[in-house]
Amino acid sequence: MRGNTICRSLSVKHENFKTCAQSGFCKRNRDYADHASSLSSSWDSPYKLDSSSIKFSNGVLSGTLLKTIDTTTAETVRLPLIITFLESGTARITIDEERRQTGEIELRHDSKARKERYNEAEKWAIVGGMQLSSGAAVSRDAEAGSTKVVYGPGSTFEAVIFHAPFGVEFERGGETQIKFNEKGYMNVEHWRPKIEKPIEEKKEGEDATSEEVAKEIGEDESTWWEESFGGNTDSKPRGPESVGIDVTFPGYEHVYGIAEHTGPLSLKQTRGGEGNFNEPYRLYNSDVFEYELDSPMTLYGSIPFMQAHKKDSTVGIFWLNAAETWIDIVKAKVSANPLSLGIGGHTDTQTHWFSESGLIDVFVFLGPTPKDVVRSYSELTGYTQLPQQFAIGYHQCRWNYVTDEDVRDVDRKFDKHLIPYDVIWLDIEYTEGKKYFTWDPLTFPDPLGMQKQLDAHDRKLVAIIDPHIKNEGGYSVVDELKSKDLAVHNKDDTIYEGWCWPGSSYWIDCFSPSARKWWAGLFQYAKFPSSAPNLFIWNDMNEPSVFNGPETTMPKDNLHHGHWEHRDVHNINGMTLINATYEALLSRNKAEEKSLRRPFVLTRSFYSGSQRLGAMWTGDNQASWDHLAASVGMILSMGISGFPFAGADVGGFFGNPSKELLTRWYQAGAFYPFFRGHAHIDTRRREPYLAGAPYTEIITQALRLRYSLLPAWYTAFYQASTSGTPIVQPNYYVHPGDEKGLAVDDQLYLGNTGLLAKPVTSEGAESVDIYLADAETYYDYFDFTTYQGPGTKTIPAPLEKIPILMQGGHIVPRRERPRRSSGLMKFDPFTLVVVLGNSGDAEGELYLDDGESFEYEAGAYIHRKFAYSGPTSTLSSEDLSIEGKKTKQYLQTMMDVRVEKIIIIGAPESWKIKSEVGVSEEGTNKSTPVKKAALSWHAASGGKAAWAVVRNPAVAIGKGWKVDFAS
Amino acid sequence: MNIASCPASTKEILLARGSSAEWLRQRTLATPDANRTSPADQKHVGVPSLDITRHYASFASQTKAYDELYGWVPSGRVSHDAVLGTDGRILLRSSGLSLKRKLCMWKRLAATTWLDDFPSSNATFKMKRVVSLLCFNYAASVYAAGGEGSRPRGVGPEFAKFYKDAVTFSCITNLSVNIPVGRVNDDYCDCPDGSDEPGTSACAHLSPLSPHTPVDQSHTGHNISLALPGFYCKNKGHTPTYVPFTSVNDGICDYELCCDGSEEWDHVGGVKCEDICQQIGKEFRKLDEARQKSLGDAGRKRKELVAEAGRLRKEVEDRLMTLGTEIEGSELKVKQLEGELAEVERREKGKVVRSAVQKVGKMGALVGLAKQRTQELRETLERVRQERDSSRSRLEELESVLSTFKEEYNPNFNDEGVKRAVRAWEDYAARDKGPEPDAAHDRDLNAITQSDKENGIDWDEYEGEEDSDTDVCKSYSLYAFENYLPASLRGWVDQKLRDLRVTLIDSGILADTGSSSGESKAVADAQQRLNSARNDLDNSRKSLTEHKEGLDKDFGPDDIFRALKGQCISTDSGEYTYEFCFMDKTTQKPKKGGGHTNMGNFVRIERIMVDEDLPPNGKGLGTGERIAMKHENGQHCWNGPNRATTVILGCAEEGEIWKIMEEEKCVYRMEVGTPAVCEALGQAVPKKADGRDEL
Repeated sequence: MRGNTICRSLSVKHENFKTCAQSGFCKRNRDYADHASSLSSSWDSPYKLDSSSIKFSNGVLSGTLLKTIDTTTAETVRLPLIITFLESGTARITIDEERRQTGEIELRHDSKARKERYNEAEKWAIVGGMQLSSGAAVSRDAEAGSTKVVYGPGSTFEAVIFHAPFGVEFERGGETQIKFNEKGYMNVEHWRPKIEKPIEEKKEGEDATSEEVAKEIGEDESTWWEESFGGNTDSKPRGPESVGIDVTFPGYEHVYGIAEHTGPLSLKQTRGGEGNFNEPYRLYNSDVFEYELDSPMTLYGSIPFMQAHKKDSTVGIFWLNAAETWIDIVKAKVSANPLSLGIGGHTDTQTHWFSESGLIDVFVFLGPTPKDVVRSYSELTGYTQLPQQFAIGYHQCRWNYVTDEDVRDVDRKFDKHLIPYDVIWLDIEYTEGKKYFTWDPLTFPDPLGMQKQLDAHDRKLVAIIDPHIKNEGGYSVVDELKSKDLAVHNKDDTIYEGWCWPGSSYWIDCFSPSARKWWAGLFQYAKFPSSAPNLFIWNDMNEPSVFNGPETTMPKDNLHHGHWEHRDVHNINGMTLINATYEALLSRNKAEEKSLRRPFVLTRSFYSGSQRLGAMWTGDNQASWDHLAASVGMILSMGISGFPFAGADVGGFFGNPSKELLTRWYQAGAFYPFFRGHAHIDTRRREPYLAGAPYTEIITQALRLRYSLLPAWYTAFYQASTSGTPIVQPNYYVHPGDEKGLAVDDQLYLGNTGLLAKPVTSEGAESVDIYLADAETYYDYFDFTTYQGPGTKTIPAPLEKIPILMQGGHIVPRRERPRRSSGLMKFDPFTLVVVLGNSGDAEGELYLDDGESFEYEAGAYIHRKFAYSGPTSTLSSEDLSIEGKKTKQYLQTMMDVRVEKIIIIGAPESWKIKSEVGVSEEGTNKSTPVKKAALSWHAASGGKAAWAVVRNPAVAIGKGWKVDFAS
Repeated sequence: MNIASCPASTKEILLARGSSAEWLRQRTLATPDANRTSPADQKHVGVPSLDITRHYASFASQTKAYDELYGWVPSGRVSHDAVLGTDGRILLRSSGLSLKRKLCMWKRLAATTWLDDFPSSNATFKMKRVVSLLCFNYAASVYAAGGEGSRPRGVGPEFAKFYKDAVTFSCITNLSVNIPVGRVNDDYCDCPDGSDEPGTSACAHLSPLSPHTPVDQSHTGHNISLALPGFYCKNKGHTPTYVPFTSVNDGICDYELCCDGSEEWDHVGGVKCEDICQQIGKEFRKLDEARQKSLGDAGRKRKELVAEAGRLRKEVEDRLMTLGTEIEGSELKVKQLEGELAEVERREKGKVVRSAVQKVGKMGALVGLAKQRTQELRETLERVRQERDSSRSRLEELESVLSTFKEEYNPNFNDEGVKRAVRAWEDYAARDKGPEPDAAHDRDLNAITQSDKENGIDWDEYEGEEDSDTDVCKSYSLYAFENYLPASLRGWVDQKLRDLRVTLIDSGILADTGSSSGESKAVADAQQRLNSARNDLDNSRKSLTEHKEGLDKDFGPDDIFRALKGQCISTDSGEYTYEFCFMDKTTQKPKKGGGHTNMGNFVRIERIMVDEDLPPNGKGLGTGERIAMKHENGQHCWNGPNRATTVILGCAEEGEIWKIMEEEKCVYRMEVGTPAVCEALGQAVPKKADGRDEL
């Protein structure tokens, strides 16, 4: 676990952000929960499912929930319920409000806002997996007052819907996994007219009944009709409208997810107590300046997806709501039942979710493995983009490279020092007066020349483009934005003006299709002057960050396209921008439309689904050891939250890192899926070549290590893009049955390569403890020292060493020739590292394509499985690809790319006398004699494993082949 | 942003823009060939063009980089001699170059030719760029002396001897490792020093810059290093160079180093790098000639500067001589005047001048002084109190401003300065504020500042009291008898008495009352003459010290900056004009008007190591030790330190600011060309920057 002390002098301004008590609906829902809890079993949740309304057909159960709002008159509010069972085994519970659906409500202040509850979140977040279950069926053996639906793979899943009070329990294999509204915290704040009550009347007690009721259930009306914070008043034209429900995971002690926060991977309790948080986890995308560590405070992005895990079982839920959301977590210890002998106590994790507006719309995943849950979630919200190859190389950024000559100079210096990098970045200062789509004519007189120099070594430029558009006369972008009316509106439905980097600005409303279309047009080469094909885009400040807005963002009563209030869509807002930018980058002129290249967009703000569009980073961190340590857990959390293309600013954004910290950060960064060095404008320059001996050399080794492992990284990205697998994986994900390692969040596995890295995150460290979950043999990556799992092992970690172990049983592809950029490695040969495990077998994968186009979709790729079999002593390459119309052509271009070296770690003693192996390749005539390749074997010594090398088997990487060690 | 790069010449920018636009057109309009054999080809489509604003590394800096980065330390078998070779030296000598000329032999050149001009622009010719070539003269000599032979690909002539055996190859620095000759250049790395792969990239990872495993170290267990400096490009028609192994067969034509394109012999991804050495070589020689001429001119200018500095120095030395003589004279004069003054004073001491001042009693005088002093103190105390009150209220106002500032500032503007101010304020606010204003204390002050009468002091009681017992009166009685003597005798007695008095005073028997009560004009005049002479002497001495210091001051080698002191050069960059005045200061002036910003005052001359690429026009620092001028304590920077500038000097024909960079917040670096640092040939000679330069 990381330390939680942070430097007093650098810390977030808490007063700029709401606590739960300052957020009206948060307080109301917490109070409601407290009230229900205090009444315990005598609490009667006012939500009942009208049994007569229940219908089931084609995997969809529908009905109407009745919320009793006046016990004396039995007045109810009708809440349509839909429970959808999907073919994938995922279930979905949706609860709406009938009166809002039909528009029979009145808005205050003559608001133009929509009357419905926001129901378009799925339009942005959901892209697949919605096929209805054909096998789901209502079971007959339901107990009275409940309905049971059997669904899922092999009909092993069950949803039991209780009618009164309303609740749902999900079971897998006869065991209850998730319970909805078990605690009775369900709360749908129905629409009601504001009744202006003269104070005198109240005093006379005429309204005593309703007031008492209100008081009784802890309702506090003070925040129903308006709410002020930081000098801004929210007019709340629809009054109170929050939704909430409790979700209990019985027997589950660990919950993960709901990124993005700084705390530990295994989420903490939020209702106080020793070591716990006092505030719920908050999801309200915000530009949090100098954010603090170990905190449930909100950050730049929101993924309302949570997994619960216990030994050998994982389940999860996805709360599809884009409004401000808070989540309370309580872990209730249930003591052993004295009557059930042999069964010990366990822990139930009780979560309580509530959002300011919108629907209750929850997807339920029943696992049973972490992989299943993440895949099911990713199937809905989309898999991570398969990025261009360059995007997983090293990115060099700084706020700011101040001139085009400065950029060229940095580019040359990397080459001079033989340090690889792929991308150099420009922050806001390249623009003329913070007007995006312009270049400062004095400092960037020749942007094309600059981009061309970068292209000479196949490098790219990424420039920042933010959603705030400077309000300045004569700036064509703002002129068009205004004349076409494509900006976000204020509550009066006129253009909203706020402050950001350029000063007075307007914000493009990317919820609007015409705004997105216009935005795409701005990126056309003809429109964005001096932009070249090797220019890609960084979207920052898209929470949106508004310097003079409440909580540094937009007023909630602002209006977006379709007259949705900002409150309804806030957490999705950032995603709409990168969506528009992604579309814009697909083709920037007619010629490109014929041969699309994969866009690259970096975003700071995100929501479920953003993973389809680009990469994210953890925002403005600090140059301190604790921030380095925190980055590992944060990135792991992004990985299991379906958005694995994540990184933290290497070196730390604010402040100046010591050379040791910088070096260690590069070593850690080499294991970030998104690997970018970045620094604040007031910091000293810290490009790797400036560090001096021995730091520059050590940093270069880390960078070259990253580049040599790019085939493994790219393969991990491919797997993420097809199955949602995290690119770097926490211990519990890899070893779901290992109860001891469920909270480990300071070490990471790279894809399924078996490479286990433990970044050094403390000053002066000479060694680290690394946790091994299983009984497999692990080998030090650099010197082959063996470590036998399970248990915690201490491994040496002097400054020049990154602690990395290779788990036995894997085959890792590498490209060892150092080049200037990843693009120049395209035709380099491969080295395969076969790491023999306890079983004597090993296997691994390689995915390869052109690294830039979409032709892989037409089969232009290589996908091999390498398998070493102990019993037969053979290593073979098998094809995993599916032939498409571009397959042959691609294979032709890769024909000469070979395997130049095979390293076998843990090679058997019996090879001592061997000097060659047999090599056969597919497509050669059977009568052709088998080729021979030299083998050299090296004995184990001093705790280091024996190893062997096959010299230049020269088999094509794209072909099937076999190396026979027995012959 | 208050700093911008120093743009290249207008012509260059125009050219570069033209070429960029062309490049973009090609990149964006070209429809990819549907039947292309490699995706890499796509990028190569388009007319390659020349980017002459690119800066090119000198061969020397490259090889130096190898030494450092590959840890290539030539062993006994591969010495510098072996690299250079005797023939090389002879050749160099025979070419009539001086030793110095050989030493600083970076030759910089850009071939400024469009690829279209080359005869080989056929359809498959898909080079990305034509660039320029930098070379190193001695390499040319080595090449000339080496002879072709039948060396394996990528082997330089100085290493040819290691590749002569027709059967077995022994790794150069690991003789025990023998491999069949067939494994040389088979694109598989066998030697732990990489010497078996002089012509491929197979051993490129054998460098301290790469991570390593026992597989790389199996034969040695030592640090990994390459035996060869790189892939040898013959560059026939131009000068041979070594290309980093990392650049061999990577699909990029590295024409900066390898104009014959031989490093892309494997044509990976379909790349074909035509030999453009004839063209490049021709351009090189043309440019080099111009540069040599320019350097010659620069050398002459430097000579002039040295002469001028010598003249200035001579001036100072002459002045020092003059001053010495002047001082001697002045000293004598002072001595003489001192004597005169003493005599005058002696004479005047006898005269008793009755004080014009009405004497009051000692007590009376004391009371008068005390009263005056008390009054002064009271007034001062009152003034200090007022000032205190005013400061206190200003402090309160300031503290409230800062408290509000802390509450209301917007942290999202990410302004480090504001953050620092807030933190400093927090620290300040947290500190012990010292004693609170104390009412009792103030009451005391009130009481103290009341009038003396109210405090019970009546000065009048003490004023005006005569004190009868004084020395002055005694002396009066001594003289009383003279009134009874005849006038003539009176004069004599008076004189004698005077002498006696002087004697008594001189011997300390009688108190000297005369000096305090006023001097005679004679004494005053003598004193004035003496003072004037002393002043003259002091000034001369000061001047002497200054000139001596000036003479001892570091004006750089050959005293050369003496000739440039106070001279200024300036350049426009971005929205500012930057000015550098030798031995004085650096300044930033906004073009739009407004105040100048001092970027630092000259403090000293230093020597620093630089490692910069040289642009084709030679206007750059190159690699090695250079003279730098440190400027510190310029205008304070909001959010930062006092501005400081390091001006690094490179050889140029004319004084010229090449480049300005803000290395850190408000810490600037200027690269400046001046003939002052051209030694013999061109750049200041690197002292130990590059071992081979010494040869």
